[in-house]
Amino acid sequence: MKAFAYVNAANEKEAIAALGPERGRILPLAGGMDLLGLMKDYIAQPERLVNVKNLDRAIAKAPDGGLRIGAAATLVDLAGHAEAARMYPALVQAAAEVGTPQIRNSGTVGGNLNQRPRCWYFRNEEFACLKKGGSRCFAVDGENQFHAIFGGGPCHIVHPSSLAVPAVALGARFRIAGPAGEREVKAEDYFMMPDRNLFGETVLAPNELLTHVLLPAPGAVKSATYDVRYRQSHDWPLATASVALDMNGTAVRGARIVMGAVAPIPWRVPEAERALAGRTIDEQTAMAAADAAVAGAKPMSGNQYKVQIARTAVKRAILKAAGL
Amino acid sequence: MASWPPVADRELLGKSIQRIDGPEKASGRAKYTYDIVRPGMLFGRILGSPHAHARIKSVDLAAAQKVRGVKAALAVVDPGGEVNYQGEEIAAVAATTEEAAEDAIRLIEVEYDILPHLATVEQAMSRDAPQVFENGNVTKPSTRQDGDVDTALAGATHIVEGLYHTQVQTHTSLETHGGMCEWDGDKLTAWVSTQGINASREGLAQTLKIPQANVRVLTQYMGGGFGSKLSGDVQVAIAARLAKLANAPVKIMLDRKTEHLVTGNRPSAYAQVRAAADAQGKFVAWDAQTWGTGGAGQGAGFPLPYQVYVWPNRRQVHRDVYINAGPQRAFRAPGHPQSCFITEVVVDELADLLKIDPLELRLRNLPDVAPNQQWRKYFPIGAQKIGWSTRHPTGDPTAGPIKRGMGCASNRWAGGGNPRTRASCEIMPDGSVVTRIATQDIGTGTRTLVAMITAETMGLPLAQVQAAIGDTDYPFAPGSGGSITVGSISPTVRVACENARDGLFARVAPGLGVEPAALVAKDGRVHPRDDASKGVSWKEACRQLGTASVTGDGAFDRALATVGTSGVQFADVEVDIETGITHVKKIACVQDCGMVVDRLTAESQCYGGIIMGTGFALFENRILDRNTALMVNPNMEWYLVPGMSDVPEIDVTIVDQPERGVVGLGEPPVISTAAAIANAVANAIGARVRRLPITPDAVLAALDEARAGGTQ
Amino acid sequence: MPSRRKDQPGFSRRSFLKTVSAGGVAAGVLAKAPGVSAQAAVHAVGPGAVPITLTINGRAHHLEVEPRVTLLDAVRNRLDLTGTKRVCDRGACGACTMIVDGRTIYACSTLAIEHQGRNIRTIDGLTTGTVLHPVQQAFCEHDGLMCGFCTPGFVTATVALLERNPNPTPEEARKALDGNICRCGTYVRVLEAALTTKGVRRG
Repeated sequence: MKAFAYVNAANEKEAIAALGPERGRILPLAGGMDLLGLMKDYIAQPERLVNVKNLDRAIAKAPDGGLRIGAAATLVDLAGHAEAARMYPALVQAAAEVGTPQIRNSGTVGGNLNQRPRCWYFRNEEFACLKKGGSRCFAVDGENQFHAIFGGGPCHIVHPSSLAVPAVALGARFRIAGPAGEREVKAEDYFMMPDRNLFGETVLAPNELLTHVLLPAPGAVKSATYDVRYRQSHDWPLATASVALDMNGTAVRGARIVMGAVAPIPWRVPEAERALAGRTIDEQTAMAAADAAVAGAKPMSGNQYKVQIARTAVKRAILKAAGL
Repeated sequence: MASWPPVADRELLGKSIQRIDGPEKASGRAKYTYDIVRPGMLFGRILGSPHAHARIKSVDLAAAQKVRGVKAALAVVDPGGEVNYQGEEIAAVAATTEEAAEDAIRLIEVEYDILPHLATVEQAMSRDAPQVFENGNVTKPSTRQDGDVDTALAGATHIVEGLYHTQVQTHTSLETHGGMCEWDGDKLTAWVSTQGINASREGLAQTLKIPQANVRVLTQYMGGGFGSKLSGDVQVAIAARLAKLANAPVKIMLDRKTEHLVTGNRPSAYAQVRAAADAQGKFVAWDAQTWGTGGAGQGAGFPLPYQVYVWPNRRQVHRDVYINAGPQRAFRAPGHPQSCFITEVVVDELADLLKIDPLELRLRNLPDVAPNQQWRKYFPIGAQKIGWSTRHPTGDPTAGPIKRGMGCASNRWAGGGNPRTRASCEIMPDGSVVTRIATQDIGTGTRTLVAMITAETMGLPLAQVQAAIGDTDYPFAPGSGGSITVGSISPTVRVACENARDGLFARVAPGLGVEPAALVAKDGRVHPRDDASKGVSWKEACRQLGTASVTGDGAFDRALATVGTSGVQFADVEVDIETGITHVKKIACVQDCGMVVDRLTAESQCYGGIIMGTGFALFENRILDRNTALMVNPNMEWYLVPGMSDVPEIDVTIVDQPERGVVGLGEPPVISTAAAIANAVANAIGARVRRLPITPDAVLAALDEARAGGTQ
Repeated sequence: MPSRRKDQPGFSRRSFLKTVSAGGVAAGVLAKAPGVSAQAAVHAVGPGAVPITLTINGRAHHLEVEPRVTLLDAVRNRLDLTGTKRVCDRGACGACTMIVDGRTIYACSTLAIEHQGRNIRTIDGLTTGTVLHPVQQAFCEHDGLMCGFCTPGFVTATVALLERNPNPTPEEARKALDGNICRCGTYVRVLEAALTTKGVRRG
């Protein structure tokens, strides 16, 4: 790890002041689970880290009946939050499955949403890939068994955040603070495809911080996350799905279906959502929506199998959300 | 004549005895090589090649040497030299902090001529491949043959044919390779994470061109090796050279990435097999073309078919394939898990073809039973433990995505002892007892075993004796590989202890008015065999030694050891056919290892082997980028070894054979697990995965192929 | 490596140490951040060595480390508390598990400088004299250790588990220990030890 200076920001204002506009020079440090690995592998070489763990970590009811989660909240706090679990099962289920107990104890909500991709070409210094300013994506004709089946490149990462998927499904908004003040962005507008932003995965500017996740009042929404991991003890998911079903009695009024670990961003599929509208959930309708969810998949040379796994994740997330 | 005590008299041997160094390890007090700190110690680091194949034009250390805290730097490769795999050593530095050493390493400027490389066996074997290795990328075929394979195959009624493959597995020892080297004039003391302190001494002396007598290697605790730490390691020699240059002790422990790249692996295996049985289910012929890679210039041999079942006609034509990857090293039962997987899967396929229960087919083709070939006895025990009678034919007919299946496989291992093993036991006038032997405890419990045999021989409680190991100043013992440690040292320690004890008896006997041969040491006393009341306490007996200890030397005694183990394993698995994910529910293992010394640690070997075998079956895979030959998963994030939730219920049955001598158990339990799991997966899903690891993509592909009518 | 820059405004050795002993907050000098507007002054320390105080196993340790030094490396290399192991160095194996303010963490993936004012517990502090902690005792009795290199991490994770939940179900214990890797394969017996340990007080 390259040497760097360190700022312990007491609050949001200090943190913003300590950040800077140039990409990669000054980075916020939360749980460190992602950032320190990047630095040890020389993928990130900041001159300064700004500790943002002292920023808001509260998980609190919002006036509109929703929930406001400070980005410094740890994953273990979210996973163990009874009220959040009642209101947003999809989110809390995802938080509980992140990494390992040690990772959930240190890792934060903000860190999880902003972590960099785990693509092994990105993470290994030897490969000058697109994301690092190189001229090619090594996954295209390389080892792409864990890469994207949606998106079409030019970079074929999958987004690594477990929380991003339910956040999009639940219609969350992210509060962002920066030198010019604060703004709010819909979760689904927060993440950016590589053709729009190759060197980052979000709309966050280098001198901005994601400070809060704002969830709308759940109303009659039933939600669930289902993830498929190979190694049960600790692994990145092969595919996940988060589903939010806005129920009208036993029928679905509207659905939001988002897949994770299949594309460079949380992958929302309106086709699958439409397949559920007005329907009662059973194995058959769930399967139809799951088929629609992966109909547009364009797998690479070595990840055809992920289509089937993503399909299964969607089907099971729908059934789980419906309590079946 | 040395002998083991009669079974009925054994106080410790064969019982479940806690490790004597358990408290040291559980408390964190145990000092591993990684933990050794010496006054003025520097941290060394090695620059490895970022390329799979390159010629070194120049190495410039100037910038590195200027980093504050750097005390020494050296090039390991001369200009014009080549590196043949990623991570191969190029240069090294030593500095006062790890951070400074790392900064310095990154400032070393190396000019490379990039040379053509080979990343896969397919590339190496292709007609247009550049010749990267001097004598060719692929060795000439070597043939092993028995009987008349062609005739037997021509007349066979039931033939299975297929391509089988196992992956490259890295040892992933938790303590990385490395050492702490300290010079005193021309004498070197090296703390090394090694499975063979004597081999390490030999390797260091040879590399550094100094007499072996000038080198002392110490290994009190070491964090796993599994075969990868059997020889003198280059990084320790580099630490010694840096220490000389800096005139200060230098410690080098590899980082995790380098550990994956350069410290060995289990070679891959490929086999194009034709195997035949007659209508009665008797195997008639086995024919295989085999190949595999052990990396840069290293062999990848494995015996095929696996030598358990009788194949009257058999042939293996093997070629080693070289690629630009880290060289293989011995890995827990070299060749066997690969060979066992391929053979046992083929056996199951023949069973399906013949519509014979796979267990029954195995029993029909076992050899006549010998003392170390007890499979015929063990298969039924394992079958009962796993519930084989409830096994369905291939393809779980149950509705729903979760399919259940069972499979089995067998193993054998030779073990044995090294006849040059020596030990020494000293009984001191105050009653202290120390047995010294230059063996090492690699986690198997060797230290405990030395103490147990000593205590048993002296009739003392375990806590009253000491085992001094892990120091080349002690009498010679071999490296801990090939499951020969327990077979080498148990007889030798027993002999040394008997000799020391007999020396004590000779001093005590006159006072008791009996012949020394009439004495026994038991329950903390020395007394005539036929009159316990007449003796003296151990302390009193030792006091009669006056001021001089009595020492017994021991040489290996073949009569106390034996050769040959056998075992079987059964697997019960669940496979989710909508995700391709395999979950191992249970493994039942029946295993012998001759005379059991410590039942507790023997069982642990079985648990450990099975868990490592589960990793080989499902997860582990060194993945090289096919275009650059660089490893994409040199970490513990994508190189997956089993964790707690991946471990099945494990039912271990150790068959004690107290009438036999001691034989090792390190290797046998790892051999059959992957084969048993693979057979269970096929039994569950009704489709055959012919390669390891059995990843979700492999399972889903096998299911797709089966649906398309491709298999079975 | 440049050390602390004494020419910078606001630096005074005395006030520096005072801030440290006041605990909690990383001490700092006033520095102008690169690329930040001139009026926004921020407290930055490093990249050279910085004096910090860590409370480990109930004892305060004063040391000087660069901000980049991880908690694990500070404890192992600077304080010679070597019970905690470095294995993957990337938060994937659990050998470096410590308990900070009652929760397990990967000490390899966090900076020493972040942990001032916290209650850090390591394997080295679990034994009282020569008396093993009940969890350590159970590991010995059940042979929940082989080469022993993962053992400190497993023991520490098990202690943290039992201090929260003295009677875990097998499933709870497994999940709590999923962040630790053993290569020898002690899991079966580690689990036995975790499930049979008695007498761990709630933390």
